[in-house]
Amino acid sequence: MALRGAALLLAATIVPSLAAAFAASLTFDGRTIGMDAETIPRCTNAGLSVLQNVSGTTVISLTVSGLPSACGSATLQVTVNNLITSSGGTATVPSGGGQVTVTLGTAVAITAAEQVDLVLTGP
Amino acid sequence: MSGRVVRVAAIALAIAALLAGAGFAASLNFTSQALTPYRTCVLSGTPATTTVAIDASVRQGSATSNFGTITTNDIASANAANRRLYVRFDLSQCSPAIASSAVIRLATLRMYATVLPAVCRTVDIFRVTATWTEAGITWNNQPFGTAINNPASGSATDTYGAGTATGCENTAAASYISGAVVTADVAAFVAGSATNFGWMLRDDVEGSATARTQTYSAKNLGTAGQAPQLVITYVTVP
Repeated sequence: MALRGAALLLAATIVPSLAAAFAASLTFDGRTIGMDAETIPRCTNAGLSVLQNVSGTTVISLTVSGLPSACGSATLQVTVNNLITSSGGTATVPSGGGQVTVTLGTAVAITAAEQVDLVLTGP
Repeated sequence: MSGRVVRVAAIALAIAALLAGAGFAASLNFTSQALTPYRTCVLSGTPATTTVAIDASVRQGSATSNFGTITTNDIASANAANRRLYVRFDLSQCSPAIASSAVIRLATLRMYATVLPAVCRTVDIFRVTATWTEAGITWNNQPFGTAINNPASGSATDTYGAGTATGCENTAAASYISGAVVTADVAAFVAGSATNFGWMLRDDVEGSATARTQTYSAKNLGTAGQAPQLVITYVTVP
């Protein structure tokens, strides 16, 4: 009798605990996190200056300036796409912020409209 | 027997505590590294035949002539010989298109200067509010009219300094000028609250007794590395 009581106690204790544990897991809904981009911290909302450095008729590197110290040591990934080809590069932001020049893997021809994507990861 | 019951109950509580701990631990494990994405659209007046950018200079001294196909554009302050620069970029050519809900962080007008005056001159940038064409614009039919020093300097979108004198904002010829910020105008174009007719650049004080001229490479020069540019940096999710 006492054993049956203990078993009931065990069940009564474990089942809610399991439910709590799984419920905690279920709140990590990837879709929710992914869609709510504001939950992902940013190192800046400043207007970054993006200047192309050219050689002849091609873009060989990009200089990104206006980086605050909050972005210091972050990794800056850059991709340039001229709708024909694309190329990218990576550089580390100086610890105090400021500006950083990213050399492209391959030069990209200057065209009338180009897209540059920047992603700062970290710090 | 009662001791056995107590032991079983203790084990049950221990398991429950572990499971609850696992649940909370799952919550605590979630951390996110800072991720800061930006997108930039660079519009350039290249090649010379492109319609992505149009530019032209208007000259008071040749008031009925069109200079839409010339290879250099002037901004000049001189007695009855002032010159202004008109430029427009087609924002719809950005690919992917800039969403009307995008937040424009910075928009910069870049003009390649080939000649700068010996003294520092202030250049005013005005948002144009009426249509014009590269092949048709003249001093006499320009959107802002023929009166000099009009519109008033105070209504300019932005200003920058240009001249070889020490201390001027832009002192080096054969390079792009800096400091021509048109963020608010581009934001209005993108949001649809203003129509994009481009910009007019003029000397802050027209009618100088001593001619003060600055020269910029025009789209029709056909040199990609000197083409007029509009650089727009924005985010789609603030």
